[in-house]
Amino acid sequence: MLGRGLKRKLSDYEENMAGLSSAFDSSRSLSYPLKRQLVLNMCLTKLQTYKMLVEPNLHRSVLIANTMRQIQEEMRQESTQQPVNICPGIAPSSPSYIGMESLGISLQLPSGVSQQESNCCDLRSVEDPIENSLLIVSDDDMSSAISSILKDLDFVEDISPPTCLVPTGDDQPKFPENTGLKLEDDRQDLKGAECVFGSFEISNSTSYLKDLAIDDIFEDIDTSMYDSDFCCPPLTPPRSPSLATEEPLKTFPSCNSSSAGNIQICRTDLSELDHIMEILVGS
Amino acid sequence: FLGAGGGNDIQWCFSQVKGAVDDDVAEADIISTVEFNHSGELLATGDKGGRVVIFQQEQENKTQSHSRGEYNVYSTFQSHEPEFDYLKSLEIEEKINKIRWLPQKNAAQFLLSTNDKTIKLWKISERDKRPEGYNLKEEDGRYRDPTTVTTLRVPVFRPMDLMVEASPRRIFANAHTYHINSISINSDYETYLSADDLRINLWHLEITDRSFNIVDIKPANMEELTEVITAAEFHPNSCSTFVYSSSKGTIRLCDMRESALCDRHSKLFEEPEDPSNRSFFSEIISSISDVKFSHSGRYMMTRDYLSVKIWDLNMENRPVETYQVHEYLRSKLCSLYENDCIFDKFECCWNGLDRQVEFSELHIVMTGSYNNFFRMFDRNTKRDITLEASRENNKPRTVLKPRKVCASGKRKKDEISVDSLDFNKKILHTAWHPKENIIAVATTNNLYIFQDKMN
Repeated sequence: MLGRGLKRKLSDYEENMAGLSSAFDSSRSLSYPLKRQLVLNMCLTKLQTYKMLVEPNLHRSVLIANTMRQIQEEMRQESTQQPVNICPGIAPSSPSYIGMESLGISLQLPSGVSQQESNCCDLRSVEDPIENSLLIVSDDDMSSAISSILKDLDFVEDISPPTCLVPTGDDQPKFPENTGLKLEDDRQDLKGAECVFGSFEISNSTSYLKDLAIDDIFEDIDTSMYDSDFCCPPLTPPRSPSLATEEPLKTFPSCNSSSAGNIQICRTDLSELDHIMEILVGS
Repeated sequence: FLGAGGGNDIQWCFSQVKGAVDDDVAEADIISTVEFNHSGELLATGDKGGRVVIFQQEQENKTQSHSRGEYNVYSTFQSHEPEFDYLKSLEIEEKINKIRWLPQKNAAQFLLSTNDKTIKLWKISERDKRPEGYNLKEEDGRYRDPTTVTTLRVPVFRPMDLMVEASPRRIFANAHTYHINSISINSDYETYLSADDLRINLWHLEITDRSFNIVDIKPANMEELTEVITAAEFHPNSCSTFVYSSSKGTIRLCDMRESALCDRHSKLFEEPEDPSNRSFFSEIISSISDVKFSHSGRYMMTRDYLSVKIWDLNMENRPVETYQVHEYLRSKLCSLYENDCIFDKFECCWNGLDRQVEFSELHIVMTGSYNNFFRMFDRNTKRDITLEASRENNKPRTVLKPRKVCASGKRKKDEISVDSLDFNKKILHTAWHPKENIIAVATTNNLYIFQDKMN
């Protein structure tokens, strides 16, 4: 754990970030990986803030997500090319990352950042507190953050008929590069479940659902057979090397948020409902 | 432009300012759109509170040849109200995103105004006569005692004080899941398009219960979404052609004759990235915030965060001209990202048709910046000017003083350093009179009108 994780007030955080970003702009001695990390953290913060809004701004979310993906891709390429850490303390692929479990957790800054406030002008001392203050985030946290935001935007009930998922394997649906979407958090699983059952109109007001004990409702469902019935292509094997360290999914072995998102139900035939009911009831 | 202009250089003078004086800005008063009508006689503004205010230009007074007519309030009405979508538990903002005027066909004026979800067609009409002399009613409306009615008379119209009425004639609703960012009236004057983040719909002005979806860029899986629509406009002459811009800095030109759903563009305009200017924020600042055709339709102009680009429709691989609006901000992008200013959507506009030369190609472009500065670029002379919309130092018929921002190094007298710029004072909306050199510039809650100095 970095420092004494303090839950800081948003205004303090904003001040710190303002200091950091002006340091970014004015300082030439901030190393490139540091700058990159700073931008990445700002992206995550923004997405986190947007997630709390009832209706996040789609335009901004997409721009921020793209920025994050670019940085992520860059970092991934660097880590595959140079396994040795170039920057001590900032190792993108190091498993000793402090992962942000999900965007539900507020950012925790170490106490070291308070030094930075008084040292804004002194470039050298700026660097060290910046290093301390930057949250190191793992690939998958970023991916799940991005996906989570974009999926949230999709919950908005869409009047137009949903485009049908290409059913068979000829046309492999495109997955974004960051697919190793492992759901560390049950909440993410439930989002996936919500999308799956979107046509049942459960998902039309997720805020309402969050208050319910959804865990209880969906916990026992084994959706593996359900997945194959919809000809969902098998999970794209995650390319992220850090996957091996992830704990295996408990509840939804074959249902992660990306495949769940892909299952946009085009038709809700009674026969399908019957079939699902059979599974639920346990034949 | 700069200094004493000879020839055709315009010298801008303050003319009027509308809006509250105090610094405390009421949220509802924030101006969100500005638009002249086709004759320039009317100037409409929309605000965050859902209101539309229309100003009318006074008829030019022959004796007062030193200034053009002033704009005075003509009509004010509440166009959109805040709504609550109960299904999604979402509030729908009443802020007016765009106003577009229809060309005038009869005595009344028509305009389209839109918020995030609903477009409305408003009729603005004048009433300066009223019928008098009813048989059954008195002048004040009371019914006459029937026994006193002994003769029959025909009511006649008598003059009354001018009354301007605005009434909603059509409401085009429920066609957009995402937020509407543009509306554009077709050159056939019968149809128009509305664009949101992911879709563009085609409407007929007479039909409100149906619209055709002509562009849909929503991916099957929202997680694949990497690009949104930011603006759209019909070609001024070709009624089957329109363009839309994206958050990735591209413009697509589509022809509706090719297919019902214009998923494939006819042309794709995109400038390759300059590798020397690459940064983490390259994509964000490439997002196009506005696109406007020239009157001829031969050119179009786009605005991204730092520049204005002029495109020739015959050349897709790069713009023909690029003008830097505030290049000094390039080194401040991280701070501007942090405070969200990097997402500000600036509009741009062409000058009106030059009166002397009726069919000249438009040669001046205008756009806003921060610190209540706005910029103009003359395409012919390649000169540019920065002016400020401010109540200070603005006396009628005094030529506006050009402003200059000092990017770095020693600041000269009268220059402003980048760090002193007020990023809360942004000019996002500007409009140019279609026929004269009169411009309307909106600061946060004030509307400035400038005219050129008539000799």
